[in-house]
Amino acid sequence: MVQRTCLLLLAWMFTPAAGSAQAAPAPLRIGYSDWPGWVAWQIAIDKGWLRDAGLDVKFEWFDYSASMEAFAAGKIDGDCLTNGDALVVGAGGARNVMILITDYSNGNDMIVARPGITSLKDLKGKKIGIETGLVDHLLLLDGLKKQGMSQDDVTLVNSKTNETPQVLASGQVDAIGAWQPNSGLAMKALPGAHPVYTSAQSPGLIYDVLTVNPASIAGHRADYIKLIKVWDRVVSYINDPKTQDDAVQIMSARVGLTPPKYQLLLAGTHLISVAEANKIFVKADGLGSLYGSTQNADNFNVRNSVYKQAQKIDGYIEPALSASLP
Amino acid sequence: MIGILSFVLPVGLWSIVSYVPAVWHPQMMITDPGSVGYLDVGAHLARDAFEGEVAAAKQEARAAPKGVPANPIYLPSPGEVLKAFYTSFTTPPETKDGQWLHQSLWHSIRIIFWGYVISSLIGVPLGILCGAYAALARVNEPFVEFFRYLPAPAFGALMVAILGIYDGPKIAIIVIGTFFQQVLIIANTTRKLDPALLEAALTLGTRNRQLLTRVVVPGILPDLYRDQRILLGWAWTYLIVAELIGTTSGITWFITQQARYQHFPNVYAAIAMIGIIGLGTDMLLAVLGRHMFPWDRSLVKFA
Repeated sequence: MVQRTCLLLLAWMFTPAAGSAQAAPAPLRIGYSDWPGWVAWQIAIDKGWLRDAGLDVKFEWFDYSASMEAFAAGKIDGDCLTNGDALVVGAGGARNVMILITDYSNGNDMIVARPGITSLKDLKGKKIGIETGLVDHLLLLDGLKKQGMSQDDVTLVNSKTNETPQVLASGQVDAIGAWQPNSGLAMKALPGAHPVYTSAQSPGLIYDVLTVNPASIAGHRADYIKLIKVWDRVVSYINDPKTQDDAVQIMSARVGLTPPKYQLLLAGTHLISVAEANKIFVKADGLGSLYGSTQNADNFNVRNSVYKQAQKIDGYIEPALSASLP
Repeated sequence: MIGILSFVLPVGLWSIVSYVPAVWHPQMMITDPGSVGYLDVGAHLARDAFEGEVAAAKQEARAAPKGVPANPIYLPSPGEVLKAFYTSFTTPPETKDGQWLHQSLWHSIRIIFWGYVISSLIGVPLGILCGAYAALARVNEPFVEFFRYLPAPAFGALMVAILGIYDGPKIAIIVIGTFFQQVLIIANTTRKLDPALLEAALTLGTRNRQLLTRVVVPGILPDLYRDQRILLGWAWTYLIVAELIGTTSGITWFITQQARYQHFPNVYAAIAMIGIIGLGTDMLLAVLGRHMFPWDRSLVKFA
């Protein structure tokens, strides 16, 4: 009797799962993670737009840093990253080119100060909890620079971004730097806390992109152009007031939030249509161009020893695919 | 019976902290923000800050905020966790490619199962051989000793590079985390076999392989079985880090996503599920053990 049960249980274990492991590998695999500009892909996935476009693309959900590992290991063809992190992956040896700009942070990244501090200037000589070397460190430096200050005017306390709400509430720092949902949770954890600087004041400091393996472009150029076209459809679906509710419903479901809460996160993200992207793809200095923004990120990465060798920006950007669309 | 009591005590303590406001409740949950602009219904505010606002409002003859004492959101009450336990199973997957919670849990169980089976297929024979033959142990064990100190999650990126992004690297992490301990523990168990048994067998003319298959293995079997039970628990402790490698899957997807948005009742419910599955399996194995090794008195536990 006992033996029979054991055998049965074993047989059960051996039956193939319906899960992802056994699925036939799709020609193109793309990593995405929990950021509004990338969760947006879920709309195309759920609505079957990828198939409609004749694409065989599989989107794989990752923890953000796990997606970087998978891309670096060559296990996925493309990954959704910030332009600065595309450089980090590339400096580590995984060549990649940015072919699509999904969005830029438009307020989701914030420096949140405790009650009583009204501006970045008040932070002189104060402690700031921030995950050093990441995007919000860059945001802080950008803000300080505008006030004629520098990193030496404040004390940075290296804190994990997802722990910043507790760090601010503990009262051991005067401000924190984080992106949503952490920045919002920090304000909830310490009522009265408020943003003193946000990415809305510095649009283009951080672009979010789809970056792909150049070898994969060579074999799937037409597919990637179709994918960029699908993205344009996603952006219009989210921005159109008639369909926005449905879009937010799909996106919030992906991450386990209610639609009204997700609306807030979406408001802090500026999604970029192909037409707008083609303007950002024009080579120029300054944050209005992906080139200028990426150069800025490269300087920051080198200064903070994220990697040693400055990267050649031009090799990381491929505007031609997007430009081939009207 | 006493086993149940060991649960009653901590849960009782948790209930007291949750339901008796006088014990802890360092914050106030706002029920009416009054005239204080930055407060919302449901926001948590430290008690002294709340009292400060009330005093200020009274002094200026404004509407004072109202609230009830509350614990921080990362300590939900047993009732909330129980409710989350139920609703997380009954909530259908929200996206088309989503999974029900029981499907995620089953996925996790399979990861553990395979990691444990692969580890055991190599670890158990190797452990027994190391325990039986001192020469083999001397060759093998220093490296195993060295390797067992290496944190298994550190091999995540390497495993992704070798085995891809799906279940392969996750199973590999479980194997790395379990295997090296397994070899040492089983080798030790083998060494503890009563020397009188070996001597008697040698006197009776048993040699080499027969000694191993007829005396050593049967002799240590009940202890081996108990070691394997402990090691299964060991494998479970690697689950969360293992499932964060590659594509996010299984119960870990649920736990990390809920924690990211601070839905702590769901997080605790999921942790409890893992505990229940673990304890349940262990009790089942203990019962099976008593059937298989009726002569072993140390297995009478959990009767």
